[in-house]
Amino acid sequence: MSELDLSAAEVGATLPDVEFGPISRATLALYAGASGDHNPVHIDLDFAKAAGLPDVFAHGMLSFGVLTRVVTSWAGIGRLREFAARFVSITQVHDRITCKATIIEKFEAEGEQRLRLNLIATAQDGRETLNGHAVVAVS
Amino acid sequence: MSSEVLVNPRGIFDRGALGVTLEAVPVLIERQRVRFFAQVLGETNLIHFDADVAHAAGHHDLVAPASFFMVVEAAANEERGRRALPSLLDVVVCDFRYLLHGDERYFYDAPIYAGEEVLFASKVVDFYDKKGGAMEFVVTESTITHPKRGVLMRSRRTLLHRLPDAKDGSR
Repeated sequence: MSELDLSAAEVGATLPDVEFGPISRATLALYAGASGDHNPVHIDLDFAKAAGLPDVFAHGMLSFGVLTRVVTSWAGIGRLREFAARFVSITQVHDRITCKATIIEKFEAEGEQRLRLNLIATAQDGRETLNGHAVVAVS
Repeated sequence: MSSEVLVNPRGIFDRGALGVTLEAVPVLIERQRVRFFAQVLGETNLIHFDADVAHAAGHHDLVAPASFFMVVEAAANEERGRRALPSLLDVVVCDFRYLLHGDERYFYDAPIYAGEEVLFASKVVDFYDKKGGAMEFVVTESTITHPKRGVLMRSRRTLLHRLPDAKDGSR
């Protein structure tokens, strides 16, 4: 990972996409177990219906975690300085998520060169589910 | 963010929790948990799965994925439960029927490694309302600290209730 030369990265460049899904009920059960987020609204249809929802829906942090992969699989987790995302719409069961990142700024902070990236996750129908930004160190 | 309404009559959050600090509880970063979490997210980098690969890349042990923070938080909540202490969600009073994520912002100071025991601490920093009280928000900040390596990760998160209709209690 240390050989990667991020200093050559240009503003406007896009990172390789990450695709995830379709998100099954099994995925949600596994994420609940792996993450420790046992909120029943994601795994128990009876609970979801009693709350007036048509179905269970995906954990927001599942999509968030997949979105981080776009940045960390490119830059390496050791270069990550900040990662933020806003939850724009609910990710539903069976959604396929595409995560994209674009370099939007080069700047210097805390004595190191950094890149700011714009992030977006969309479902198969073009619906935006998350957007956000990340900061990575170049060197 | 300033409040549109000072007191939200439909609100569920306990606004009295503003400023409350939850003192740190210890959480052990379990290796198999790091692997399981990484696998569910579709991670393929072996630094999350294979200690030899992690060592070769200059890490002490398996590296927790970038969103592992919330795993530590959930484990801290379990530990708080065992100590008969309220979790952050208890303190601010969350109703899972209406609870959603607003945004999450994480700052990375140092990696989180499997096999380590870290400390997880939180505080409640803001409440506000939107859409005339139809949505209420709570902002919390949390920190993961290693006793020797110092602060590893910090978070600033917003949770919200999409509140039920005041008239009949349905959505």
